[in-house]
Amino acid sequence: MATGTDPFTAPGWVPVSPRLTTARRITLGLEYLLVLAGGIGIAVSPLAVGWLIAYAAIAIVVFAWAWWLIARRVRSFGYLERDDDLLVVSGILIRRLVIVPYGRMQMVDVTAGPIDRWLGISTVQLHTAAATTDATIPGLVPADAAALRDRLAALGEQRNAGL
Amino acid sequence: MTPRRTNPLSPLVQAAPAIPAAILFLLGPGAGMVSRGDSRAIALVIATAIVGYAVFVGLSWLVWWRRTFWIDADGDLRMDSGLIQRSARRLQLSRLQSVDIVAPFLARLVGLVEVRVEVAGAGDSRIVLRYLKRDEADALRHQVLATARRVDPAPSPDQPDRGGLADPPGPIDVEVGAPLALVPAGRLLGSLLLRSVTAALLVATAALLAMTILTQGPAGLILVLITGGLPILSVVTEFLANYGFRVDRTTQGLRIRRGLLSTQTRTIPAKRVHAIAVISPLLWRRWNWVRVSVTIAGVESDQVRPDVLIPVAPRDEALRLIAEVLPGVDVESLPFERAPARARWRAPWSWSYLACAITPQVIACRSGRITRRITIALHARVQSVRLTEGPWERSLGLASLHADTAPGPVRVAARHLSLDQVDALAQHEVGLMLRARQS
Repeated sequence: MATGTDPFTAPGWVPVSPRLTTARRITLGLEYLLVLAGGIGIAVSPLAVGWLIAYAAIAIVVFAWAWWLIARRVRSFGYLERDDDLLVVSGILIRRLVIVPYGRMQMVDVTAGPIDRWLGISTVQLHTAAATTDATIPGLVPADAAALRDRLAALGEQRNAGL
Repeated sequence: MTPRRTNPLSPLVQAAPAIPAAILFLLGPGAGMVSRGDSRAIALVIATAIVGYAVFVGLSWLVWWRRTFWIDADGDLRMDSGLIQRSARRLQLSRLQSVDIVAPFLARLVGLVEVRVEVAGAGDSRIVLRYLKRDEADALRHQVLATARRVDPAPSPDQPDRGGLADPPGPIDVEVGAPLALVPAGRLLGSLLLRSVTAALLVATAALLAMTILTQGPAGLILVLITGGLPILSVVTEFLANYGFRVDRTTQGLRIRRGLLSTQTRTIPAKRVHAIAVISPLLWRRWNWVRVSVTIAGVESDQVRPDVLIPVAPRDEALRLIAEVLPGVDVESLPFERAPARARWRAPWSWSYLACAITPQVIACRSGRITRRITIALHARVQSVRLTEGPWERSLGLASLHADTAPGPVRVAARHLSLDQVDALAQHEVGLMLRARQS
C-alpha cells in the first residue's frame, strides 16, 4: 500500500446495513424505559420540581447525543474481503482495523438476537486462536451473513489445507 | 503392564489438609461438654468421632483400592476409578504432550510425588496420579516416554492445524548436557525486592513508618500493614515458587524445575512457544538483569503453567535461553524502527524507547520506560494484526499496531508509531504471516 494514505479509510469498504441503526436505537429506547421509571420515581417523590426538570433535561440531551452517535457508529463499521485476508474496521473515537488472514480463522459465528431477527440482520464474528482478535461485523442481512460465513469457511479450509 | 494402584499412603496424604478442621470441629462442642462434666455426651461425641473416622477411612481406602492405572497393549495410559460411578480414562500416548513430576509439600514429607501425564487435545486430556514413590514415578515416566516413542506415528497430513495448538510433538523428553541456567537464591531474592512496584511500596512503607514514629500517630500503621504487607507477601510467594529455578535442555525443549515447599517440573516444548517478553525493571538494569515470560499455546491455565522462562538472569544468559526456544532469533540485533519524535506528546516518558522491528521470522516491539520490555512473536504464530488509533493519537498522526497471539502473558504491541509506519508494518507483517504458514 502506498504511504501517505490513511489505512482506516482505504477505498472499497463494504458498509453494514442501516437497519443496524434502527436495531440499536430500539435498544436505546428500551434502556430509556428505565430512565423513564427513574423520572416517575422523582415525580412522585417529595423532591422539588427543579430536580425533575434537571433530570429530564439531562436525559433528553443524552438521548439525542446517543441517537446521533449510533448512526455515526454504525457508519463506521465496514469490512473488506481481500485475496488472502479479511479486513474489519470499526469505531469513531478509537478506530480499529483488524486484519485476519483466512488461514488463521478457526471458526465463524453468525448470531442474531430477537430485535435483530425482527429487523432481519445478524452478526458475523470471526474467531482465531487468539482471544484478542476482535473481528465482529454486526448488521449484515442474513443472506449476506450466511454467504460471507460460507465464503470465509471455504477460504479458511482451503488456506489451511495448503499446509 | 498389569493394573497397579497408587501408594497406599495416598488417601492419608490427600485427607491431611482436612485434619485440623476436623479436630477443631470436634474440639468446640467437646470442650463445652467437658466443662459441664456430661460424661454420656462426651462418650457419644467420641463414639461419633471414631465411627465417622472409620467410615471415612474405609471409604477413602475403597476409593483408593478401586483406582487402578496401567499402560495397555495399544500404548494407551489408562486409569479406572470411582466407587459407585466408575470412570475409565484412556490417554493415547502417541499424542503425549508432557509427563511431569510434581512434589507437593505434604506428599514430599512422606517421600511421595504426583505424576501428571498430558496429551494433546481439547478439554481435560490428562491423568494425574496421586501419589507414587519417587523411584516408581521415575520408572513410570520413563515407561510412558518409551511407549510414546514406540507408538509415535508420523504426523498425519490430514490433521488440520489449529493455529499451532495441536502440533504433534515428538514425545521424547530426555535431558541433554549440563543445566542451561540456575538462579541462585540471593539473586532471586534481590531481584524480587527490586521489582519496580515492590521497591516503590517498600520505600513508601519505610517513609510511612518513619513518619508514624516521628509524629507518634497510630493512624499510619494500618496503611503500613497494606503497603508493607502486600509486597512482602508477593515476594515470599514468588520466592517460594521460583526457589532453585533450574533450566535444562532436553530433546523435547526446555525443562524447568522450581519451588521450595513444593517442587514443580515442566517442559516447555520448543515448537509450542508463540511469543516471549524480555522484561527489565528500572532497578535491575544496574546488574543487567532481565526476566523472560513466554506464551505457550495449548497449556490450560494451571498452577504449574510455565509462563516464566527465567525469573531473573543476566541478559546474555537469558538471550541464550531465548535462542533455545526461538532458534535463529537474535534479540540484540533486531532492526528496530523507532516512533517519531512527535510521539513524545502522547507518551512523554517512553517515546524514545518505543519501536517495532520485523525480521523474516518474528515481529518485535519495544515499550515501557520504568520497566522496559521487548516482546517478540513468531510470524507463524501471529493470529491477526490489529491497528488502533485513539483520539489523541489521531491528532498527532500516530497509531498502534497489535500482533494478536494465543492467550498468555505476552502482549505484542507497537504503540504510537506514525500512521505511515504502522500501515507499512501491518502490510509487511500480514505478508510474512501468510508465507510463514505456507512454508
